[in-house]
Amino acid sequence: MRVTQMMLSQSSLRHINQGYDRLGKIQDQLASGKKITRASQDPVVAMKGMRYRSQVTEVEQFKRNLAEAYNWMDTTDSALDQGTQALARIRELATQAANDSYTPEERANMAKEVAQLREHLESIANSKNSNKYIFNGMNTTTAPVENGVVTTNAQPVEIELMKGVSVQVNVNPQNVFSNELFTDIQALEAALQNEAMTGNELTGFIDTMFGHINNFVAERAELGARVNRVQMMESRLMEQEVIAKRIMSNNEDAEMEQVIIDLMTQESVHRAALSAGARIIQPTLMDFLR
Amino acid sequence: MQSTFHGLETARRAMMTQQSALHTTGHNIANANTPGYTRQRVNFTQTEPYPSIGLNAPRLPGHLGTGVAAGSIQRVRESFLDVQYRNENNKVGYWDARYNALEKMEDILNEPSEQGLSRQIDMLWTAFQDLSVDPEDSGARSVVRQRAVAVAETFTFLHSSLTTIQSDYQNEIEVTKDEANAILRQLENINAQIRETEPHGYVTNDLYDEQDRLLDQLSRIMNIKVEREKSGGNPNPAAEGAVTVLLVNDQGQPIENMKLVDAKGLEERKEFSISYDDNQMVNGFTLRLAAEPNTPVGTIELDSMPRGELKALIEAYGFVSNDGIVKGLYPDMLNNLDQLAYVFMSELNAVHSEGYTLASGNQAARQGVLLFDLGTTGPNGEGAASQVKVHADILASLNNIAAASGTDGVFAGDGSNARTLANVKDRILTFNGDNGTVSSFYQGIIGQMAVDTSEAMRMHSSNLALRESVDYRRSSVSNVSLDEEMTMLIQFQHAYNAAARNITMVDEMLDRIINGMGVVGR
Repeated sequence: MRVTQMMLSQSSLRHINQGYDRLGKIQDQLASGKKITRASQDPVVAMKGMRYRSQVTEVEQFKRNLAEAYNWMDTTDSALDQGTQALARIRELATQAANDSYTPEERANMAKEVAQLREHLESIANSKNSNKYIFNGMNTTTAPVENGVVTTNAQPVEIELMKGVSVQVNVNPQNVFSNELFTDIQALEAALQNEAMTGNELTGFIDTMFGHINNFVAERAELGARVNRVQMMESRLMEQEVIAKRIMSNNEDAEMEQVIIDLMTQESVHRAALSAGARIIQPTLMDFLR
Repeated sequence: MQSTFHGLETARRAMMTQQSALHTTGHNIANANTPGYTRQRVNFTQTEPYPSIGLNAPRLPGHLGTGVAAGSIQRVRESFLDVQYRNENNKVGYWDARYNALEKMEDILNEPSEQGLSRQIDMLWTAFQDLSVDPEDSGARSVVRQRAVAVAETFTFLHSSLTTIQSDYQNEIEVTKDEANAILRQLENINAQIRETEPHGYVTNDLYDEQDRLLDQLSRIMNIKVEREKSGGNPNPAAEGAVTVLLVNDQGQPIENMKLVDAKGLEERKEFSISYDDNQMVNGFTLRLAAEPNTPVGTIELDSMPRGELKALIEAYGFVSNDGIVKGLYPDMLNNLDQLAYVFMSELNAVHSEGYTLASGNQAARQGVLLFDLGTTGPNGEGAASQVKVHADILASLNNIAAASGTDGVFAGDGSNARTLANVKDRILTFNGDNGTVSSFYQGIIGQMAVDTSEAMRMHSSNLALRESVDYRRSSVSNVSLDEEMTMLIQFQHAYNAAARNITMVDEMLDRIINGMGVVGR
């Protein structure tokens, strides 16, 4: 084939340009850490990438929801614990009072303590978690107990913790802080203040209080069971997060070793092209003619 | 009897001819780096020998040679390679323009990234999730509003950026069409010069080079076929003639009534014109007489445009196809975005208006508030992406975000409608008649675009490589090699010198006859 000077310089220029193009692509990979910087470089990776990114975002969001669920449940649990303690004290007082050896004055004092405990229970019923009443169902902006009147809402508060799986995070307040609870305590107070009451008559209150304590314990047990379920979901979410991130990384992250080796190879090819370019001006016939 | 001065004439012819060969070599060296230049050669021919044939021709040993003449000066070029080059150049023109159009689109959509629409939709989803957990919280509400604004703005940004580029393409179509018309005009002019010069026996090498250069340029814009027509009169055998240029389809068959340039010059000069409909979409591509713009010569169906840069530009910009539908890369993408915005936002609106707002001060919780304002969107969502914004009610008050579904009374702590809003992302909706979720439809759009772009890139680079290889072969035939020219220079110079010596020899011969003869015994 006949080869001319112009052809040599053109093809050498083309090779140098191609070298720069490839170097640019590898440097993009190196700088971004991604296999692709444009969707067209690998349409499948790009499409999958969009889906995997969504998945990672979802898992991260569910983790955030999870923290909120724990917040609700932990606050509810400790409130119920305190409620149970208060009720136990009331039952203790009722048990003491059922003993006929106490004088009416002593019983009246007990009535005062029971009144204090009732108010304590009211304030527990009105306890808040991040400015929300936790014992009033969905009606979180209104206090469930106001001036001794209980108006609870039984609607469950649910938080979505996985795609399509929502978990109730509150307890049914009607099972614990019911109107009955407060009227029963008030009845006990009235009975304690009533000098005509015999120990025998007061014995009935012990069982009533027992019943309320059982309600609290039962509700707490159910809440505990739900916490367990949420914990299991948490460990699944953690696993999902690792998997989602790994899949995303496998899909779109560049393999650094590979990229660096590619870079070194391409650099040496490019240097070779450049040094070949430097030799375009070869001696011609003119250099040998006199 | 041969002439006494025969040798002088032979040597003179040799000197003249070698001289013209030396000048041609000089011309080659001078144009070694001129783009489109084809090296030229002097065709040496022997002159008529002596004696010529005839009854009263002298009886001599013969023939006796009478020397050399420059028969013609010819370009060294292979027209078959030109055909191949133009064919590849045509494909490069098409795929290059298409690749550029898609690449710009890809830049605007910018997927996958942390800034694209897909990410914005995900962020709106997380905001709804946060709201469902904290429906009373005005912070969570404000995040939902901001993210909704971001989604709406992303749609309008994508729409306006794509439209801007699309309108640039209209400009580019016009410029390219004008370029083609300018080439046609120049080809007509060159044809006229060739038709005037060739009958006198001249070989117009530099005009042919110019012609080939223009045809190379035209082949990039549209697919052409070139036929050469011998001139009348007394043309040199090396003369190549004027060109007829025909527009051909992808199979290489000439399209009816699409003779762009006539070699004989019998037809009037023609030019292209492109017409647009009321929406500024291309709806006609015609060839007409340049002198009479109202006389069309032929039209081309836009669905079967001949391949080339112009076709790619029209395809990118958008044209009215046979069935009356607007097609094109940019119109299709805008359509898809409209569809996505319309279906997604309508569904969110439907869910949102089912829910209840948050009661505040003097305003009780209410139903039927819209989340997005779709403006004057057409019945199938036309123009949705360009107009969508967050509804004025939501912008007026954060409490108007309907987080509660209010199944049994409306309460502040009810975030179930926010959860439903979040899950709209995973609902199966109907886009352009196909079912899928918002993200799957959008992924489909991006996937299609990415596949188109990578196809265009691949075709562009492979056709470029083919064109380069043809060009290399063409250069191999037609380019000037300086070493070769130097060799020629030496060769012709030696011949020239030898011819001069020959004259000296004849001179000495004559000197002997004139001054040295008949002087015996003097």
